[in-house]
Amino acid sequence: MSLSRIPRRLVHHRCCLTTHSNSPPTVDSALETISQRNPSLNAFVTSRVPAELAETAVADGPLKGWPVGIKANIATVSNSDTDVTSCGSHALQSYKSPFQATVVDALERAGAVVMGKTNMDEFGMGSKNTYSIYGPARNPHTSESQDKDSCQIYDCSPGGSSGGSAAAVASNMCRAALGSDTGGSVRLPAAWCGIVGFKPSYGRISRYGLVPYGSSLDTVGIMARSVQDVQQVFQAVSRPDTRDMTCMTESLRSRINTGSQSRPWAARLLSQNNIEAEKPLAGIRIGIPRECWVEELSASALDAWKQGAERLSALGCEIVAVSLPHLPNALPAYYTLALAEASSNLARYDGVRYGLRKEPGNRGPKELGASRKYAETRSQGLGAEVQRRILLGTYVMSDAACRHFYLPSQRIRRVIQTEFDSVFALPNALSSEAFEKTLLDWASGGRSAGVDALLFPTATDTAPPLLEGREENTAASYVNDVMTVPANLAGIPAISVPVGHKDRMPIGLQLAAQYGDDELLLQIARYLGA
Amino acid sequence: MRQLEKLLRRLPARGFGYSTASGGWRSTVGLELHVQLLAKQKLFSAASAKWNDGPNTNVYMVDASIPGSLPRLNPHCVQLAARAILGLKGQVQPVSSFDRKHYFYLDQPLGYQITQQFFPIGKGGFIELGQAEGLGYSKKVHIHQLQLEQDTAKSIHDVYPGHVLADLNRAGVGLIEIVTRPDIETAEEAAQFVRKMQVLLRHIGVSNCNMEDGSMRCDVNVSVYRDGNDRLSGTRCELKNLNSLKVIRSAIDAEVSRQVGLLTAGKEVEQETRGFDARSGTTFLTRSKEAAPDYRYMPDPDIPEVHISRNWVEEVQRTLPELPEMTRERLKKQYNLTKEDIETMINEPGCVSFFEQLATTRDPKRVASWVTSEVFGQLSYRAQRLADSPLTVAQLGELLDSLANNAITSAQAKQLLIEFMDGETRSTAELIKAYGWKVLDDDSLIRQIAKDILDKHPKEVSGYLKGQARRLNFLIGKTMQATKGQARPQDVSRIVKELLESASAD
Repeated sequence: MSLSRIPRRLVHHRCCLTTHSNSPPTVDSALETISQRNPSLNAFVTSRVPAELAETAVADGPLKGWPVGIKANIATVSNSDTDVTSCGSHALQSYKSPFQATVVDALERAGAVVMGKTNMDEFGMGSKNTYSIYGPARNPHTSESQDKDSCQIYDCSPGGSSGGSAAAVASNMCRAALGSDTGGSVRLPAAWCGIVGFKPSYGRISRYGLVPYGSSLDTVGIMARSVQDVQQVFQAVSRPDTRDMTCMTESLRSRINTGSQSRPWAARLLSQNNIEAEKPLAGIRIGIPRECWVEELSASALDAWKQGAERLSALGCEIVAVSLPHLPNALPAYYTLALAEASSNLARYDGVRYGLRKEPGNRGPKELGASRKYAETRSQGLGAEVQRRILLGTYVMSDAACRHFYLPSQRIRRVIQTEFDSVFALPNALSSEAFEKTLLDWASGGRSAGVDALLFPTATDTAPPLLEGREENTAASYVNDVMTVPANLAGIPAISVPVGHKDRMPIGLQLAAQYGDDELLLQIARYLGA
Repeated sequence: MRQLEKLLRRLPARGFGYSTASGGWRSTVGLELHVQLLAKQKLFSAASAKWNDGPNTNVYMVDASIPGSLPRLNPHCVQLAARAILGLKGQVQPVSSFDRKHYFYLDQPLGYQITQQFFPIGKGGFIELGQAEGLGYSKKVHIHQLQLEQDTAKSIHDVYPGHVLADLNRAGVGLIEIVTRPDIETAEEAAQFVRKMQVLLRHIGVSNCNMEDGSMRCDVNVSVYRDGNDRLSGTRCELKNLNSLKVIRSAIDAEVSRQVGLLTAGKEVEQETRGFDARSGTTFLTRSKEAAPDYRYMPDPDIPEVHISRNWVEEVQRTLPELPEMTRERLKKQYNLTKEDIETMINEPGCVSFFEQLATTRDPKRVASWVTSEVFGQLSYRAQRLADSPLTVAQLGELLDSLANNAITSAQAKQLLIEFMDGETRSTAELIKAYGWKVLDDDSLIRQIAKDILDKHPKEVSGYLKGQARRLNFLIGKTMQATKGQARPQDVSRIVKELLESASAD
């Protein structure tokens, strides 16, 4: 499927529809918007029809009646034949999951209504939502410099890999959407589409039912138009789950809660009256990581960063520069580890038990037997980018290369985790001794050095144009993730908030906090938005 | 390493008479045992671990690698692995973790096996071989490590021509792999080590260890070296899937002579994987070193590290039954049993406890003889395990007491035993009453019956009197029959003899 199959008239039609309504979408309005805008945005790849939605019982909960979108790599179960969990891949094009993800169960229990599955880069591998069997999703925002005749040239990428979820939320096709964030796949599209994208701490939301890419980095993420909406969804889905051994236990959650809320300003920040205070963020220290000031950073992103810092300062925050010396190593370490895990996680798509299966015909030497079937099935089922990443991942894990790539990357990951621990005031709850000691200090009036959150750009620039048929420089496209991967390596929560525009294209800023400090990070983020 | 050096220094003093290899060559052997755990559920799923149920009936999401499903560690498997390493006198590691071992095969739904390559749950420990195993010396075979891992699925060939079928029931069943140090020097030591491991693991309830049905599998590493050289200097070959003690013995011997043959002919031993062909008694190449797969081991990101506290280990240690070595010694000392009886009982799960419950208030020798001959006779006739037999300690106890009190004859006792093992639930007393059994101990009555018999068989009587001793048994038998088995044989025998003596005196 290519862009040319979408009639130009529709693209033009879309250009006239960029005004946002301020009331949040309902199921009915979402259905209407989907039917109008999805043909051009390609955000939902399967969607439920009104008749089907009418039959669905809606639970009475805090999200009652919220239309939500689910990324195509999160397992859902419904009566619909078209409800596939395809991960944007030919290999799973007609795969129906026999079970539903814990996070989707939680959403439905809270009253949310699943509208359908959203577009994505195949298995989460990409940052522009261009590697999808459904064709690219498109950014609802279009560049200002266009004129009527060259409209399609300036179609922009929504970002990836959760591009469909971002486009759907930004265009009011749903009120919130789930994405997955392995190296920025929720935050980058959120920034480029002008919405809020939240990657919680690793283990906050169960991964049971999320089709894995890099399991030690994968996080279910939440996208919505406002931080408040993200908070509401987060409260509904952030639960312990015994089906995921890496999901935080109740006892760890309550330990972190105690620590996180023992800071003097925490209670004030959590109270409703705080919003009216003159300096609502007084007492909070925000760190500006020097290493994020990279060469690739555009002038507009830098301006937005400065303005964001000024805004937080005006609200009472203390702004300090911090250093995370190994941050420049994060990107190569991330790609090594993520691809190594991907090569392992995607080994199961062999066509034996489910998914696409291809017969090799006369190709390949006969004595290879079943290997020919695996090779044919995987060559046809998996896209070029996925194959590239599997091959790289296989290589870095091999006997010969492991010492030079995989093991050093693991070490860098640990160093980066330690560096984050050293800049945050709140200790890491996973090192129990330091955690308990700091809490005792605080109880006796001590104030530790260190910051409560970090502020840095989400992306180096605004959304790039979608250019069909031009070979991309793969390495350059990996650089899109430079600002987002450190949070995944460290397992810490990070949120992208829209703060402004350049040429009508949105700009996002990121806030990150200590592992487990999700609640207070979200509270601070409420004040950041423009 | 220090242990190895020590072993090396000890070598020359021990003599070479028992070596598998001859003519100046000696062999070094290490074993890898795969043992299926006696857990009800799989290692990472709640599916039943009964892999021989109908095909593909015990399969949960993660066993079939359904996208988005995740493994969940079964704590019972961890406990069984801990029992095993403690039983071997090794150490449970405070921190262990799981790794992925990658390869594509039909029997591997995930594309990798979850195992413990880098940080296994158990390290250290040993099994001591000596007199009891028929060796003329004693030695310790040390355990290098003990790791938890998943079993593979079963692939079935040749049922549908042109197709290979997969049964996922066994996929993910919990195994432990026990790797020894290369302490073994002969095929006989290897076989005795495996046998002793089986006894131990059965005894502490870790595994059935049946090599026939695959609940224990054995791979062997073999290398040879010249006398006086470093005993680890040879190139080793791995022999895979040796499925009986006999095959282990023959395969090692065959491989040693193949390697010695190569070396004496001036050729080199290649590092490779080999199989054993029992018909020809030789090993054959299955995979050369060049074809060795790269498993790309990687820590499994879905499974957090396993942290084990000292208290937990102590708790497992407390629930461990007495180890066979100590049981043997105690049974000999406490009950003065024969070596054969002790071995028979130790090798049958639950038997020692069965015996001891009976023996506390009874003559141990008598109990042991009943258990090892009568009860085991019936078990083997029924191809049944003691644990699966309906026979209870209380039933056999009452039976033995009734026999000791002369309330029943031994023929009747044996009949009752059979009924109990058939599932009879009434007590011995009830059965005696139901059958109307009564021991006939009135001498005058027996004398009357015997007299009748002698009168009816004058030919036999006169034959006996002429010196045909065998006629006596005939007359005793007839008299027993006439008492309907209710008289004690020794009484009948005494009375018949008395009558015959008085007849000869006449």
